[in-house]
Formats: sequence, C-alpha cells, structure tokens
Amino acid sequence: MSLTRRDGGEIEALITDRYLDSLLAIQPAPYLEGGPLGSDDSLGAAVRAVSRRLATDLPRFHPSFRFEERLALRLAEVAASMRLPVAAGAEGAMVPMRELRPALLEPLRGASDDENHPDARPLLIGGAVAASALSIAGAWLAWRRRTSPMARAIRAAHSMRQPGGGA
Amino acid sequence: MARRALWRSGAAKDAVPRIAHLDRDRPLVEAAKREPARFEALYRRYLARVYSYAYYELGDHHAAEDATEATFVSALTNLHRFEERARPSDGEGASTFRVWLFQIARNEVAGERRRARRRPVEPIGETVVVDPLDVEATAVRRDEARAAWQAVGRLPGERRQAMVLRFVDELSTAEIAGVLGRSEGAVRVLIHRALKSVARDMGVSKRSGDKAGSES
Repeated sequence: MSLTRRDGGEIEALITDRYLDSLLAIQPAPYLEGGPLGSDDSLGAAVRAVSRRLATDLPRFHPSFRFEERLALRLAEVAASMRLPVAAGAEGAMVPMRELRPALLEPLRGASDDENHPDARPLLIGGAVAASALSIAGAWLAWRRRTSPMARAIRAAHSMRQPGGGA
Repeated sequence: MARRALWRSGAAKDAVPRIAHLDRDRPLVEAAKREPARFEALYRRYLARVYSYAYYELGDHHAAEDATEATFVSALTNLHRFEERARPSDGEGASTFRVWLFQIARNEVAGERRRARRRPVEPIGETVVVDPLDVEATAVRRDEARAAWQAVGRLPGERRQAMVLRFVDELSTAEIAGVLGRSEGAVRVLIHRALKSVARDMGVSKRSGDKAGSES
C-alpha cells in the first residue's frame, strides 16, 4: 500500500472517529443530519447508516437483580476481609504521646518510669491495639486503687486463690 | 489524598508540566483505597457496562456473570496496585480507572473463552457467532438491530471488541486503545474497517430483502 493510500485510509478513519464522537455524545452535533459530515461523501452513506443503527439499537444489558445483589454481598465480604489487618493493628498512625497525655496518663501518674521524657516514645494508635491497651490500663488502675472497697474485696479473693495465700 | 497526574505536554521544548484533568472516578477510587467497602459505588457504576461487554463477547448469561464477578473481585483486591496514568491523548473526562477495569474484564473474558473451549457444549460453528439478541428478543425486537449485531458478531476478535467498547460501553478511542493495548490510530482504523465490513455484510442482507442497510 502506498503512503498516499495509507494516509487516505487514516484520514477516513479519523473522520469516522469524529463522526462517532458526535453520534455517541449526549447532545449530537448539528451537522449529524445533513451538515458537513452528514452529507460528506468521504464518509460513506453505508458507514453512516451502520453507525447510527449500532449507536441506537445495540442495547446495554444489565444482569439480574439477584446476581447484582449476590455479587455486592460477596464484594462486601472481600472488603471486610481486606480490613482485618487494620483492625488487628497492623496499620496505625503514629501519634505523639503528649497529645494523649492529659486524658490518658493523668490517672497513671507515678506509675511511669519515664516521667522526665514523656515525648520520647510515640504511641501506636491502630484499632484493636489501642483499645486493648486502654482496657489493660483501666483494669490495672482498678486493681491498684486502694480506696475502692470493691478493689479490696477483689484483691482479697485473689490472694485467697493463690497457693499459700490463705485458707 | 487525591493525587494529581502530571505529564509533559507536547514537544520537549514545552517542558512545563501540566495538571491533568480530574479523572471522573478519582474520588471514588481514592475512597475505595482508603476504605474497601466504598468500592461498592464503583461496582454499581460499572456493573452493567462490564456485564454487557462480557455478554456480547461470550453470548451466554452464566458465562458473562462469571466473568463479571471475577472482574470486580479482581479489581477490588488489586485496587491498591492501580495507578492513575492520565495522558494528554486521553481527552477531557477520560477515565483511566475504567480503562484498567476493562483491561481486567478483557482478561477475564479471554479466560472464560478458554474454559469454554475446554468443555464445549455446542458445535464450534454455532458458538463462533455471538448473538445475544436471540436471548434478549423481548428487549430488542427490531430485525435491523438483529442483523446489525449478527454482522458485528461475525467480525474477528479485536474488531468486534472495539465495536462493543465503542458502541455499547461508549468508551472513547483513547480508552479503547488503552484496553486493547493499541495506538489510537490503530483503533480508529480498526473501527473504520469494522464499520465498512458490517455495512458490506448488511448490504448483502439488504439484497436478500433485509432493510438493515437503509437509512433510519
């Protein structure tokens, strides 16, 4: 094929492409019907006719509602399984300890050995890890509070269960 | 955080980076990357298109459902690997996410074809021509459309895929080029030749009494 003919073919293809762009657009260009391209012999009448037919008559199929919802459910399960590592604390944001200090560390004052360097160690906040840390801290605090009658009763019961801890 | 796609526009002397247009799917994609459950919005947006593509290619509802399911599951599990690569030739409003999605769909459809070949249930001669209009006769009643699709169904692989992506899924030439891994010029020629082929085919039908080739 000569260069001229190849260029001619590419030009025809380009004209067809522009025609299809307008044909498939939401608001067709005014030249579609009887305009410059519409009456242009360079775009064959047969190609125009076929383009219009395919553009208007080929339907877009939709799967059944049942399939759609079943697949949506499966995707939700897959998405939930993808979130598990985050929930387990595999990914967390590094937050400076001082931001949490007023609320979190005040009840534990005196228990820390690192009082002079409160900002030296970041705290990993990552879902279950943070929640677990708070729970353990809370339990420890409840355990050590001497003013609570309930805590004293729990400690007494605990000491009785330990070997050699009483009758 | 939404990323901006940058490229160098035009010739080397024009080395100032331009900011690409926003991918219409970018907010949804970024949200789904942060929270996988948010992928549902993308799923609802593209379900019919992916399913249609698979159905036109495979000609069987069950096979199309299998391919569609595999496509979306694969897209969700691999979404973290997706990188938006907008190019100037993508044109305004082009969506690189959907190019990526249809690349996955194309692979899944090819896999489904291979599986079907290993366990054929019909003579090969009957499976070569895909004719979903037979199944969807209640939705599409026009004989002309039927004739048009039969002609498209007789096209060789890439021409047929390009026609479905262009006319049914309404992808741009640049997007189809991305899906098929061809240049835009090659896709333009592919579609132009496919249209001429279909026109010739329907012209034969016209001589046999079908009005498919006439102006609508």
